[in-house]
Amino acid sequence: MAVLQFTLNENGVGGLRDALLCLGKFSEEVSLEAKRDRLVLTALNSSKSAYASFAFAANRFFSKYHYEGIAQHRDKFFCKLYNRALLSLFRIRSGDPLHEREKDTTIDRCDVAIIDEAGKKSRFVAKMVFRNGITTKYRLPFEISPPVHAKFDEEQAINNWSISSRTLRKLMDHFGPGIDYLDIHPEGDSLVNFTCFTEKVVNGDEVLKKPLQTSIAVEQDEFEDFAVEEDKLHIVISVKDFRAIIQHAGIIGGNISAHYSMPSKPMQLKYHADGIKCEFLLMTVGERGAPGQKTRKARASSKANQPQLEAAVSRSASHAPMPPPQPPRQEPMPSLRPSITRPSQRPPPATLESDSLFVPQDNDEQWEPVNVGDEEDEEDNARLEWDASGDPHPSLRNVRSMAANPPAAEARKDDTSDALNFEPTQRLSQVRRFGLFGD
Amino acid sequence: MRFRSNLRNIRTFSKLVAALSSLEKIAWLRLDDDTVRFTVIPDTGSQVWASLSVDFIFDSYTLQSAEQNNTINLELPLGPLQRALKSAMNGGPASIRLTKKNGVPVLSMTITATTVPKEKPQGMSSRFGGGPDGGSGAGFGTDEDGFFPAEPLETNLHREHEKIITQDIPVRVLHPETVETIMQPKVREPDVHIQLPPLLQLKAISDRFTRLALAARASSSSSSSALANPALPPPTTSGASPKLELSANMHGDLRLRLDTDSLQVESRWSGLENPELDPAQLACALEDHPSTVFRAAGPARWATVRVDGRDWSRVLSVGRLDGRVIACFSDDHALILYVYVPQYDDVGGEDSVVTYYVSSYSV
Repeated sequence: MAVLQFTLNENGVGGLRDALLCLGKFSEEVSLEAKRDRLVLTALNSSKSAYASFAFAANRFFSKYHYEGIAQHRDKFFCKLYNRALLSLFRIRSGDPLHEREKDTTIDRCDVAIIDEAGKKSRFVAKMVFRNGITTKYRLPFEISPPVHAKFDEEQAINNWSISSRTLRKLMDHFGPGIDYLDIHPEGDSLVNFTCFTEKVVNGDEVLKKPLQTSIAVEQDEFEDFAVEEDKLHIVISVKDFRAIIQHAGIIGGNISAHYSMPSKPMQLKYHADGIKCEFLLMTVGERGAPGQKTRKARASSKANQPQLEAAVSRSASHAPMPPPQPPRQEPMPSLRPSITRPSQRPPPATLESDSLFVPQDNDEQWEPVNVGDEEDEEDNARLEWDASGDPHPSLRNVRSMAANPPAAEARKDDTSDALNFEPTQRLSQVRRFGLFGD
Repeated sequence: MRFRSNLRNIRTFSKLVAALSSLEKIAWLRLDDDTVRFTVIPDTGSQVWASLSVDFIFDSYTLQSAEQNNTINLELPLGPLQRALKSAMNGGPASIRLTKKNGVPVLSMTITATTVPKEKPQGMSSRFGGGPDGGSGAGFGTDEDGFFPAEPLETNLHREHEKIITQDIPVRVLHPETVETIMQPKVREPDVHIQLPPLLQLKAISDRFTRLALAARASSSSSSSALANPALPPPTTSGASPKLELSANMHGDLRLRLDTDSLQVESRWSGLENPELDPAQLACALEDHPSTVFRAAGPARWATVRVDGRDWSRVLSVGRLDGRVIACFSDDHALILYVYVPQYDDVGGEDSVVTYYVSSYSV
């Protein structure tokens, strides 16, 4: 009997994919926590300065959801999975545009079962049913390891605002690459200022390598509500993390709300849609209410001890082979409060890659210079290759045989070659158009 | 030293900057009372001198300098300028000024963007074809109160909002002595001048030839190693970039050739225009002009230069400006492109010219 079984429809698969994409920007691993009424995915970044959590409601997000539990721990189950592996299951496949019937590689439905029993291999099993009639089945190993949840004291977070995620996303589009931090502070009675900066030092001749410095003054009216107790309270967060969040929030739509108390205490950002609740904690840097030059100095010193989020870990035993069984611990984990002796752990600087998601691509790409030999995808254009088959309609034939034997593709993946119905000379490129394998 | 102005023609300005930045990251900007000039001189490759009349991109232009002839010379990174212009493109009125922030000179662009009242989010409730109790807000079990509180209907009474966006581009002020040594290249009178075919077409074909040259080289010279490790780019690409041969005559023909040990390809355009020269602007009599000699020699008399495939591709990126392009060939010597940038809203205005000194190689 599976610990957990659920079914997702097409929209559910999309929702899960978006969440995984977002989580992947925080950590390579994703923690899964299942209860009777909800499934929660979380990630904490390596410097423990950012935490992301997505809660999916059992009866609204899923078409079917059944939590069975395991013997000792009836109420919840948890494990850790490799995000990239999960994403590759739920990713969008590219179909064969030439064949009307086969081209729809949309995942119509997905059945997931988590198996963790004594004497059996612990596995995350997913069965994908595609629109074009193909079904694939995947088994992923997981590690039983308790999730780390970051703590947030809502009582203390007296400052809050909320704004349309669309507005926020458009705002962030104005910021260029190469920046690390975003400073948000009220300015006078009616304005809120968003300013980006970097702490990378440039000297003398390299002054022209400094990134574009952007600051945006937004009317407070543009916020749904805005309640910041202290005038000129500068709150500074990592741009990379913030972008990861609003990228996802933009997909979900609706309003995003922020709660925080003071610099070097975490900021909570949250938004929700039907069946999904998203919550993030970002550690803030800087010193409270220090305007102008003074703030800069404070910022510079703040990086000496980049604060981390406080965390709480719950533990439990499992049948999975990984980590050695530990006695359940009831006392809270020691606090991960910052201390002066801790070495600096700054969030990684924003990279061009992460920015590219927010820079709308120009439609005049054809004017970009030829990029020969620099990129792999150019290779396809450069190298003329023969089709050795000599068959005028190779794809058509193979599509037919594929459709007739859909499970064969999976069998091949599992390396049980005796189950193959194909000629051993089947070209991988011919099977690829079904979107079963990575591109 | 003061400079401030409103911006106009932001889209075209942005395209120009994009074309320049494909050749080099940093440009020299020279401002005076009538002309704005961007100059790009890469270590290797083609150089560009773009002279624009001030009204082309500026409006309400103020310039004050202690230097001779009221000029300001700046060095600025094209990437940030392009990014700032992109911000301005979707916004409202924009202005630019030279100022100092924290002791560092910057070109500060101020954009006033207005937001139209937002659209209503739609179809949220039907996004996931959830379970049986899809109607109520109590999505989770009974142990969590108000985990998903019901959302009140949005009132959508937002008025138009204004945002002030400031984009600071780092610059370096150049001393006149530093720049006076930089001279625009001088070249002899061209043998052939011809209007190029649509650049998008020319670029697509040139790029294709460049790729073919690389592929041919990779397969002939070191086929074994290239096959053994196809993930690596062909070993010699960075050393010697493929050369394309470009020729034109005074009878409306243009020829693009790729000639390697293993393959030869050629594309030909005909019926192109060889514009008439204005005798008033010539140093010599029209009859003595080299192009007259070439015309008389007939269509078989080609003026030829060789260009670097990659560099040529970067040059052709200027096609995004939609200008008329005249290529001037000095046989086996030089190639210069004059790009006449149209000024749509000002028919009588003086044309702005972007001049490309294409780096060329002897045959």
